[in-house]
Amino acid sequence: MKRSRKTLQPGRQRKLLSLLSLPVFAFLVVPTLIVVPVALNNSRYITFPPGGVSLAAVQGFFADQAWTSALSASMQAAGIAVVLGTVFGASAALGLHGRKFPGQQAVVGLVLAPMIVPTVVLALAFYQFFISVGLVGSIIPIGLAHAVIATPYVYLTTRASLAGLNPALVRSAQSLGAGMLSVFRHVHLPVILPGLISGALFAFSVSIDETVMALFMQSPGATTLPVKMFTDIQFNLTPKIAVSSALLVTVATIGLLIQVVYVLKRRSTARMMPLAV
Amino acid sequence: MATATLERSRPRAGGPSGSAWPRRRRRGGWLLLLAPIVAFDVLFFLTPLGKLVASSFTGGAYARVLADPLVTRSLVNTLTIALTSTVVTVVLGYVIALVLWRSGTVMRVILFAVVLLPFWTGILVKNFAWAVLLQDNGLVNDFLQNIGLTDAPIGLLHNRFAVIVGMVHCLLPYAVFPIFSSLTAIDGRLALAARSLGAGEVSVFRRITLPLSTPGISAAGLLVFIISTGFFITPVVMGGPGDMMIANEIDYYARQLTDFSGAAALAVILTVLVSVIAAVYQRVLKAGGHHETL
Amino acid sequence: MTTSVIAPATHQPSTTAARKGAIDLRQVRKTYGDVVAVDQLDLSIQPGEFVTLLGPSGSGKTTTMMMVAGFEEHTSGSVMIDGVPVDSLPPRERNLGVVFQNYALFPHMSARENVEFALRMRKVPKAESRRRADDALDRVGLSGLGGRKPRQLSGGQQQRVALARALVFNPAALLLDEPMAALDKRLREHMQEEIKTLQKSLGISVLFVTHDQDEAMAMSDRIVVMKDGRIVQSGPPEEVYNHPVTDWVASFLGDTNLIPATVISRDGEEAVVDLAGLGTGRVRDRGAQGERYAVSIRPEHLKFRAGPDGENGGAGELTSSTNLGATIRHRITVGGHSLQLRELSSDAGASGHAVGSAVHVGWDADKAQLLVLEG
Repeated sequence: MKRSRKTLQPGRQRKLLSLLSLPVFAFLVVPTLIVVPVALNNSRYITFPPGGVSLAAVQGFFADQAWTSALSASMQAAGIAVVLGTVFGASAALGLHGRKFPGQQAVVGLVLAPMIVPTVVLALAFYQFFISVGLVGSIIPIGLAHAVIATPYVYLTTRASLAGLNPALVRSAQSLGAGMLSVFRHVHLPVILPGLISGALFAFSVSIDETVMALFMQSPGATTLPVKMFTDIQFNLTPKIAVSSALLVTVATIGLLIQVVYVLKRRSTARMMPLAV
Repeated sequence: MATATLERSRPRAGGPSGSAWPRRRRRGGWLLLLAPIVAFDVLFFLTPLGKLVASSFTGGAYARVLADPLVTRSLVNTLTIALTSTVVTVVLGYVIALVLWRSGTVMRVILFAVVLLPFWTGILVKNFAWAVLLQDNGLVNDFLQNIGLTDAPIGLLHNRFAVIVGMVHCLLPYAVFPIFSSLTAIDGRLALAARSLGAGEVSVFRRITLPLSTPGISAAGLLVFIISTGFFITPVVMGGPGDMMIANEIDYYARQLTDFSGAAALAVILTVLVSVIAAVYQRVLKAGGHHETL
Repeated sequence: MTTSVIAPATHQPSTTAARKGAIDLRQVRKTYGDVVAVDQLDLSIQPGEFVTLLGPSGSGKTTTMMMVAGFEEHTSGSVMIDGVPVDSLPPRERNLGVVFQNYALFPHMSARENVEFALRMRKVPKAESRRRADDALDRVGLSGLGGRKPRQLSGGQQQRVALARALVFNPAALLLDEPMAALDKRLREHMQEEIKTLQKSLGISVLFVTHDQDEAMAMSDRIVVMKDGRIVQSGPPEEVYNHPVTDWVASFLGDTNLIPATVISRDGEEAVVDLAGLGTGRVRDRGAQGERYAVSIRPEHLKFRAGPDGENGGAGELTSSTNLGATIRHRITVGGHSLQLRELSSDAGASGHAVGSAVHVGWDADKAQLLVLEG
């Protein structure tokens, strides 16, 4: 008695729609797809399609101290953002799960608020704030700022995976004499793990791509990859920018693939984007 | 403090291990989970924002920035660029959402990945790629010359067209998801009913699908518009000097002029402007009651 | 008013006028990959007939209806409406009124706009379509409610809008897919009568899909029982109920006593059977062939008897009596079988047996049916 949607849609309009949408899908992916071939171009200039394949630009990128230190700065900021964001986001989701208390809505609002404030406003606020407390000239303020905007993502993905947790399970585990830590380890952790991983990926991705805050708080020792790209791109489109882009696209693709595998396992597309929650 | 509480309530070996103690310990324990996040957000989110708002009210900052013709210009730019990108994004996003909605399970996941790839990719990477494509000797210009549309490269980069292309590319995923979820909320039998009553595919779309997905369209429009008003990177990388938006002005005040209170005033103006537009928009939608068709 | 709803249809050639409103399925088959949803189905609905497809979920009844409506394409065979093959016609050209489960009213349109929809699709001028829509709403008792949105209407009112919407364009026939599933019991019974009355007054053919045997009994001219994509039995409600061909049909259509039987002799009308533990009996026979047989006796056809009577009955013990209000359900152990006997509460005083007492029960030969034991 399954009514498959396919048989219910007449074919002609379907084909027309697919045909019409093809340029739109191309518009979405083509720019991202050209980045890697551009980075492997053998020319000294940026061209597409590339003339031939060469790793010269990649070698050049890793030989350039300015770029490698930018890469390392990015990784450090992302490390801070992932650790803090995951701990805070997940503990917020656990602390708010299945509980009702006065002021709960305010706490949820506070947790989610960093998502909706324009980054440039946050960047300015952080810039002022960290100068006033004397915490500038290192990667730490950038990592903290990234943690602030990454936390809501972890909160949302963890909350989504907690939605499948039966509160009776927690109570029954407690009634069986399990302490708080062992309830967490045996009941909560297996349930939230996918959300936690997904949230950590988002946190990493948010941090590694964030430009505006990192730009405002940059210093000679704390210039992230996107900031370096942003500065260089205003003068010229260089192969090293292409290599850096290719690196970031690779990271994005890995993150995306992990999610796709996860979604195919779960048969649900709802969790591919926390913003859709 | 947290550890002290836990120490005190932990039932000691040999002591009276009543059931009341561990229960209270658990309840308190769960609330303790919220303390770090609240403290963190108060310290590193609310405090900086509060300081920003406070500093915007010093030294006549509002009068100063509003008298600056560059600010007025960037405000106008922000509104026109944001509005244009929103319209284009919602239209293209609708097409994508429609295709997603009509795809089978496997195809749907693949197309979702296609939509999410730009979402996962950083804005600089995307803008860089567009710069490569749109530059004078880029793919698009080569193509236009090859098919004989032009003889010489036309300036596709560093103008408003490029800014909108770059922004729409970034914004599309945000439009697709609200529209897609409003489409999936439509009862599939409505289309069957319409067809049994004599409607062709075009009529089904125009009279059933489109009006019933308006909540998604308006949600997408609002979300995309709000995000688009804060763009900073794209106007710099892809626009010309005349395409600077309010975010660029904030940057200019803060880092070039080191006028923090001016920059803060601009940030407050941007936030207030967006909030007011969002509120008016929702009011208008409610008053219009977007289910009045046929 | 009536005539505007059932104005003479102009869409079919006069040569087929005799079959106007007929639906015929010839060897219709539907497969999804390896799964056979509907298997070689033959079914004819005569003009003006009310035919119910009755079966559990997965029996293929909804798929069958969807193929008639044109929403599902059949794998092989042929569907005819008004005596004309419609296999290549899209739903909108089949001219059938469909009422869906949960009605599928357009939520963004008023009741009147819902009803007008088909007329607007047929390019009927605005003034006329409005008049006809209001007439159709009057007809289903919704005068003055045309301006309301579906969510402002009760379940029963929504169903009436759905009916008016399906009838307003003078369809060749009406297809109803579990239209009463969302209503509570009392309203459901009321709507059953109302739909039946409307159908009779319009003289329209109806193909009705349900899994509710009471609804099928109450409304149909003919019940077509389906199971696993095939028709198991087809006939008037009383016949299908009283003379099921298999134990599955007997059980699906209500409570019954099934007693394993060995056929001693049969002539196609009547059979003499040996009922293990209950001696021999004389029962109705419809000639169904199978490996194992049983006799079905509905609880209301089993009666208390004053004393022993050789054939069609036996002596046993009353093990329980449950008062169900209008009826009383007794359980009696006879010859190793636990049988159910149902009598009207008003008749109970006369027999007045106490639980635990010895009783005699029996049945009329024409109320017991020989059937095939499946599985």
